[in-house]
This record gives sequence, structure tokens and C-alpha cells, in this order.
Amino acid sequence: MGSLFSSSISLRKSVRISDDEFLLLRDFIYEKSGIFVDVKRKYLFESRFSKHLGELGLSSFSDYIKYLKFDVKKAEELPRLFELVTTNETSFCRDLRQLDVFKVNVLDEILNEQRKAGKLELNIWSAGCSSGEEPYTLAILLHESLKRELPLWKIKITAVDLSRTMIEQAQKGVYGEYAFKTTSDDIRKKYFTKESEGWKVKPEVQKLVHFQQMNLNDSQSLKKVARSHIVFCRNVVIYFDEAMKKKVVGSFYDNLLPGGYLMLGHSETLHKISQAFKPLYHPGSIAYKKQG
Amino acid sequence: MGIKCFEELTAGMILASDLKASDGRLLFKAGTEIEARHIELLKRVGVAEVDVEAGACELSDGMLLEIEDYVRDFFLYVNPDSEPVVEMFRISLALTGDAVARGWCLPDIIQRRASNVEHMEDLFLKGMGSPETIVMHEAELASFPDIYFRIKEVLEDDSASATRIAKVVSTDMSLAAKLIKLVNSPLYGFPQTIDSISRAVALIGAKELSTLALGISAINYFKDIPPELVDMKKFWRHSITCGLLAKILATTQTGLSPERFFIAGLLHDVGRLIMFKKLPYASTEAMLFARENSIPLVEAERSTMDFCHTDISRPLLEAWKFPEGLSNMINFHHNPMEFPNPLEPAIIHLADNLTNAMEIAQGGMYVLPGVDEQAWEILGIQADPVLRDAVEQCQEQIDTILGAFF
Repeated sequence: MGSLFSSSISLRKSVRISDDEFLLLRDFIYEKSGIFVDVKRKYLFESRFSKHLGELGLSSFSDYIKYLKFDVKKAEELPRLFELVTTNETSFCRDLRQLDVFKVNVLDEILNEQRKAGKLELNIWSAGCSSGEEPYTLAILLHESLKRELPLWKIKITAVDLSRTMIEQAQKGVYGEYAFKTTSDDIRKKYFTKESEGWKVKPEVQKLVHFQQMNLNDSQSLKKVARSHIVFCRNVVIYFDEAMKKKVVGSFYDNLLPGGYLMLGHSETLHKISQAFKPLYHPGSIAYKKQG
Repeated sequence: MGIKCFEELTAGMILASDLKASDGRLLFKAGTEIEARHIELLKRVGVAEVDVEAGACELSDGMLLEIEDYVRDFFLYVNPDSEPVVEMFRISLALTGDAVARGWCLPDIIQRRASNVEHMEDLFLKGMGSPETIVMHEAELASFPDIYFRIKEVLEDDSASATRIAKVVSTDMSLAAKLIKLVNSPLYGFPQTIDSISRAVALIGAKELSTLALGISAINYFKDIPPELVDMKKFWRHSITCGLLAKILATTQTGLSPERFFIAGLLHDVGRLIMFKKLPYASTEAMLFARENSIPLVEAERSTMDFCHTDISRPLLEAWKFPEGLSNMINFHHNPMEFPNPLEPAIIHLADNLTNAMEIAQGGMYVLPGVDEQAWEILGIQADPVLRDAVEQCQEQIDTILGAFF
């Protein structure tokens, strides 16, 4: 087999991380973000961080850990660290079946209850909103549900994410083709305008959503989120260990108004995490209703 | 790459196909490196055009870097100092470089994302189906092909005559046809053509032929997998390649009968097919999760479903009463050291990784799962040249063997 590449080309490009360094870094990340990194991903870490270490002019992971803990710029480094440990792929209307379950079995019920109580108010919390596709999808869903009634309502969707870059991107509200892979053309034309960079979400959708950088491991800032009727937290807790899952779900419980709902991602469940919610099984999705 | 006219020919170029004179006479075989004296000869013979392989000079430095980055992405998860892994990296580079030189385009980011399966529904919600209940549901719904059990019966009967085995296998025409094609393929490498099942039984042995028949009838069982979820041809190509490599690698060990490894490789991912059938949406979530996080599919399955495809194959192969030795190779191909006698599963483990490395040059989707260090030690082989030789052998044989299946 001939090759266009040198027969002695090496695979290692990165600084080596020792087992001790890995554990230190992992504990640091866990302490700051609640994200748990399995030891199996050690090499993935090496390669992901290696370029960044070079940019900082550091030659070992020990130096990087010192930098994170003691450097004058450590506060600036934290968001960068978070970027490196999170992934942010999503799209509009991801998991259509769940959204359908949500609309029919959760949203309509809550809207009706609010109407009955004469309080045309709705708070939704989108926790781990990435680049904004989920909260905007929810805002569009509300436009579609309430139609002309919408101006009478006071609606606030609080959308938070660990990554500052993602929040900035979400605030811009401009998306490429890939984000629309499961969205109908009608919806796209109705709620987005074509710009040179992509499709920009229209102001009437954007004004329902308030973005904010937030660390779900920071209980104090979670307490400042307005109490919600619904919490969406999809494909986030999958990165947490059991203790952190319990902690975050506990915060959602405290934040939810009586009878409020928690929606998780398709591959996530409260099984073994919390019994304070009643799971309502629908074809394709589970909605968790706050008890007590 | 491609056809060069005689004037462009220089020493050092490699023939991409057999070079024949105008009267059909073979001058040089594909792969020959052209030397100055060859050019002289070709001039005398009057050859006008020559099909040569791409040389490094024909891919720009920028392109080579792009290829290297592309290939590196598939090795993010594995130990960059591991001997077999480094060799696999070099093999992938060589194959990918070659593919690009022949006109293959590196897949862009969109092509590397999962397709949309929003319309598909899982039969089990998260947390509601264990591997056992999922397999039970499958086993109750669809019965395994009758021919499979009849072959198994003969296989277990030591006194069964060659004629009886031939008779049972021959009742299924399409199965018999596939078997004939396979025994005539390089998988066995017999010099003469074998034209009947009874002749095949006589040559390769009753047990061997029945095992092969068992594996093929198992494949037939999975016909109704949604095509938008998984390209079944690609899936079987992966499986057959893994089987072939496993068989080739098994010859490096003493005292193993290599043909069994073909079947184990052929069915090593069979658990995944049940996942596609029962949990199509969750399977896609796992695929997305794997790609988003640069982790192997098997890890993504564990994260998103709490179990992986070998957890499914275990009860499945048990329900099918599949021969135990083969089942163990399949069930432990991701963690060979957890099996008391790890040598056999270690071969499938290595072959699976090597298959993934080969597939990078064909638009593979997932990072390599990595070679277990202890498993590698047990095999006691030299990565260079054993792995490269295995890949070369595989490339020579794979098309004929695929042809027997499709």
C-alpha cells in the first residue's frame, strides 16, 4: 500500500495529560459546571485542550490547572473552558413528537387554567438553550397557539446557557439551513426573514425570549429566575452525574409553580433522580408534572 | 490520477491498472512502478496512453493537510501512543489520500450529520425497556427462519451425513446460491470451481458449511429496517469487511479455525439491528450524540439508552440458541478482556477497529472505539506489517465476497 503521507507520521499532536492531571481537571470542571467527564474521554480531552494550551503559552496540563485556579485572568478563562467541554448542536423543532405532546397535553392545559384564573401570564424557562433554537421554537409555538390573543398575554421565555458564545449567537437570532432540517417551509417563511447571512428570527418572536448566560451549578443565580409554569431542559442533564442531576432537578422543582411541568430530552429520565414529579406517559414523550 | 499520454510518462509513476499491448498481451501488472527502461520498452511497443496512480505531487500541500485533519478527527477518542492505533491512523491516511487522489471528495460537515427521522417512533420509552424485554418483544413477534433451526439441528448432530446436510441447505435456493458463491470466493480460495453444495460440504466440512449457512440465514432475518435510519448495504459492508479482516487476522494465531471468525465478524453488530427495529428514534439520538461529542457509537448508546448493542446481542443470540463460541466473540467484541478466554473476542475487537479505520476513506461516521491494550498484547502481533497486510488482502477479496451477498 503506497501512501501520500510519511510512513512515520505520528498520531500524537498534543501535550500528554497524566492520570493525576486528568482527575484534577475533571474535578475542577465538575465543581464549576456540574459536567461530569468520564475517564474514557481522557484522550479526547488531550486533543481538545491542546491547541488552547498552546494559545495560552502553556506547556503542560499542570500549568493549565494552575492557570485556572490562580491566574489573574482565571475569571476570563472559565467561559472558554466551558466552551471546550460542551457541545451545542441543535435545530428548530427538534423532536417533533415531543413538541406535539407538549402542545396538546401540557401547553393547552396551562393556557386554559391561566385563562380560567383570569391571569394571562406565562413563564417558560429554557435551561441549556444552546444557540436559541429551542426557546424560539417555543415562542413560535405560542404564536401558533394564541394567534390574535397573544398581545393580551404577558409571556416571558427565560433562556439560559453555560456558554457565553452560544448566548450571543442566540441573541443575534440568525440561522443557517441546517437549523431548519425539521421545520416546515411555512413556519420558516412566517417567522423568519431571509438575510445575507441566513434566516433571521422576526422581532415578534424574538421579543418573547430573554437570553442570559447561566451556570446550572450556581444555585444562587438559578434562584433569580422568575417562577415558571414550564421548564424545558433537553439534552443537558445527560452530561451530569447523579448528584448534579438531583441538584438541578431540585432547582427546577423549586422554580416551578404548583402543577407546573418539566420537559426533558428524549434520552433523559427522572427515573432514580426524583419522585417529586409525576411522569405522564404519552406516545413519544414523557411530561413530568410537579407534585405537591 | 488517470490516463497519461505516453509523453507525460516519467519514472516513478505507478500503474493503476494492468497495462496491455494493442494485441491484448499483458505488458505490466497494475502496481508496477515505471522505470526508465519500461518507458523505452513502451515506446518500442507503441503504447499511446497509460493509466497511472496519483502521485503526491498531484495533491496540493493544502489538500494533504485537509486530509490529515479529516482523518485525525476519527482518532480523537483513542490513545495516540497505542501501537495498533498509530498504525491504523497511517493506514487510514494512505487509503484516504488515495481515495481523494482518485477523485473522492471529503464529506462536508452537513453530510456527516445524522438524517432526520422525526417521523419514527420507539416502541419503548426511555427507562421502560431493558435489553431482555426488548429482545423478548422481538422474539415473540417474528419467528426466526425455519431453515436456521433445521441447519442448527444437523450442525449439532455429529452423526449427520454430508448428504443430509447438503439436502437441508439445498431446500433454500437463495441460501444455497449464496453459499456456492461464497465457497468459490477468495474467502476459501479453492483452485477449482465448486458447483454443488455436496461438493462444498466435502471440501470445507459439514460443520464449517453449516456455520456459514447459519450466519447467512441470520442476515436474511433483517430486511425491514427503515432505510432512512441506516443504509443497510453500508451496514452489511461494514460487517462483511469486519468478518473478512477477523478471518485474516485469525490466521496470525495458532490453533484457531479462521472461518468461524468470518461469521462472528459478520454478526458482530447484530444487536444494533434490533435497536434500529425497536428503538429507531433513540438509535438516532445515540448516533447524533456520538457525532456531537466525538465519542464512539457504543459509548453514545450507553449514555443515551443506558445499554449498548452487545447488551442486546447477548439475550438475542441466546434466544436464537446461537453457538456459544460465536456468541461470545460477538458479545465481547467491545470488551474482550471481560471474557475468561479473551483471544477470540480480541480478534473481532481488533478487526472492528481496523474496519472503522478502513471506512474513514469511504465516508465513515464515527470515531474509532480504540484497541484494548491487554487484548492487543494477548494477540502478540506486530502492527507493522500485519495490519497493513490484512487490509491489503481484504481489499483484494472484499468485492467478490460482497458480490456473494448482494
